[in-house]
Amino acid sequence: MAKFIDRLLDPDAQQEEGQRQVNLRRLPGWVGWIAIVLIVAIYLVSGIYTISPSEEGLVKRFGRFVRTVDPGLHYRLPTPFESVVVVNILEVRKSEIGFRTISPAPNPRYQTIETEALMLTGDGNIAHVEMVVQYRVNDSSLFAFHLIDSATIVKQAAEAVLREQVATKSLDETLTEQRDTIGIESRLALQELLDSYGTGILIANIQLQDVKPPKEVISAFDDVNSARQDKEKLINQAERYALDLVPRARGEAQEIGNQAEAYKQSRIKGSEGDVARFVEVLAKYELGEEVTRTRIYIETMEEILPGMDKIVLSGHEDGLLKLLNLDSMGGGQ
Amino acid sequence: MRSLAIFVGIVLIAVIAFNLFTFTVDETRKAVVIQFGEIVRIVELPGLYSKIPFVQSVTYLEDRILNYDIQPQEVLTYDQKRMVIDNYAIWRIDDPQLFVETTGGRLVGGQSKIDEIVYSDLRNILAKHTLDEIVSAERVEYLREVTELSRAKLLNGFGIFLIDVRIKRADLPSEIEQAVFSRMRSERERIAAQLRAEGEEQARQITSNADKEVVIILAEAQKDAEKVRGEGDAQALEIYAGAYNQDPDFYRFWRTLESYKVALATDTRIVLSSNSEYLRFLESMLGQ
Repeated sequence: MAKFIDRLLDPDAQQEEGQRQVNLRRLPGWVGWIAIVLIVAIYLVSGIYTISPSEEGLVKRFGRFVRTVDPGLHYRLPTPFESVVVVNILEVRKSEIGFRTISPAPNPRYQTIETEALMLTGDGNIAHVEMVVQYRVNDSSLFAFHLIDSATIVKQAAEAVLREQVATKSLDETLTEQRDTIGIESRLALQELLDSYGTGILIANIQLQDVKPPKEVISAFDDVNSARQDKEKLINQAERYALDLVPRARGEAQEIGNQAEAYKQSRIKGSEGDVARFVEVLAKYELGEEVTRTRIYIETMEEILPGMDKIVLSGHEDGLLKLLNLDSMGGGQ
Repeated sequence: MRSLAIFVGIVLIAVIAFNLFTFTVDETRKAVVIQFGEIVRIVELPGLYSKIPFVQSVTYLEDRILNYDIQPQEVLTYDQKRMVIDNYAIWRIDDPQLFVETTGGRLVGGQSKIDEIVYSDLRNILAKHTLDEIVSAERVEYLREVTELSRAKLLNGFGIFLIDVRIKRADLPSEIEQAVFSRMRSERERIAAQLRAEGEEQARQITSNADKEVVIILAEAQKDAEKVRGEGDAQALEIYAGAYNQDPDFYRFWRTLESYKVALATDTRIVLSSNSEYLRFLESMLGQ
């Protein structure tokens, strides 16, 4: 072939060398034409390309972006006229702050990056915050033509935004109720920042992973939790004590009240009983006062005197002695 | 075969001519055309452009946004505290001519300019604020100031447009960090102690309250009981009095005799005079 080129470039040389190209000239002329057609065909076919379903194709003509193409089989003018840049627009990319995934699921292992995870809170404390940013391409032409290292830019912007957010919160807020707010606000701020850079990136999701006190002070924080438990425990014990004691006392009070009531009733009934007999007797007494008085007197004497040791002293000594119970007198002295 | 040779020749000439007489500027780039060391043309838009072969050469410049991670620097705050600031800059080449003239068109050249200018502005601005302010939400404002200041210098001096400067990390030097940790620890210890004391406080409140309630309940019950007992006694007395007052004389007689039955019933030795009421008749009979 080099000979042909020489001849083309130098017409004089063609004349001289003409006689030496006999062998080639013997081939029929149409072989050359077929070769030309084949070369042109191959060249034109090289412009066929496919875009897979998750991708978008950006066609450049002489370096200038001219059109976007959807997934499928497409044709572009061959090099150097047109070229295609393919951007995956569905792939969710991930940026990790404060840790790295060393081995993915199903047995994930993570490594903490202390210098990234530790950050100052608004009240001058230090918190350990880990975050995952998930993002994807939103504007493929910006992403492809306006950005060099998307991963680094996203990561740095995310770090800056996260630290700015945490710096507005106290440590306690960061660890507890404001945790979700930090995630939400970081997402908005990061999106705004990336938009201001013109990156064509959409933040799909931001998740705060581990949010905890630095490991240097974690034992003190754990102790606060156990102190909280202790407090609950003390209160519960006290409540148990109170719940045990007060009802018992109320029972005892009932008992005292009932005993008093019983006493009262017994006194009343007793007195009524006592009085009832007296009233009966009095009614009879009024029928014949002197007779009844005597009768009661004598009846009483009859009732009590038998059980007694009796000594009757009389003016008549002899007569009296007869009445003495000598046995019991002897025993008594 | 002659036709094939002619075809190949034409293609080759076309390729060579294309490369000699034209140049392509990609979407991601800008270009400057240099002729005898002089910039004669600046190409800012992508496309196909022509040039004079051998005389003119083309230098391409990056037109995408560039990210420069500035080395962590120690700065002194207004309250004389040291801080390690790790920041990054986002920039792009704005004026290709100025950029090529001042940095030779190399990115590292641009980066070293950014380094110098941003660091000095950052140090100056942060030196006007205390550590607490720098750590707070105000930081965004200070950084905007740094960005504005540096942006003007870089744009006018080197054709660099500084899009943003951000602090990735603002860390405390390790000895201050340790002090913060120990303060955090003592703060937590205080909270823990307070929680436990509060637990004790409430527990005692509850138990003593219960104790108090018990004493009150019992005292109340005793009070009521005494009252009830008194009522019983009073009613009994009333009943007795109501009945006995009908005939006090008979009551005395009757009640005395009744009490004899109990008081004198057993183990009583009695010396009776035969002159007594009861034995009067006995005496009289003996006397006869």
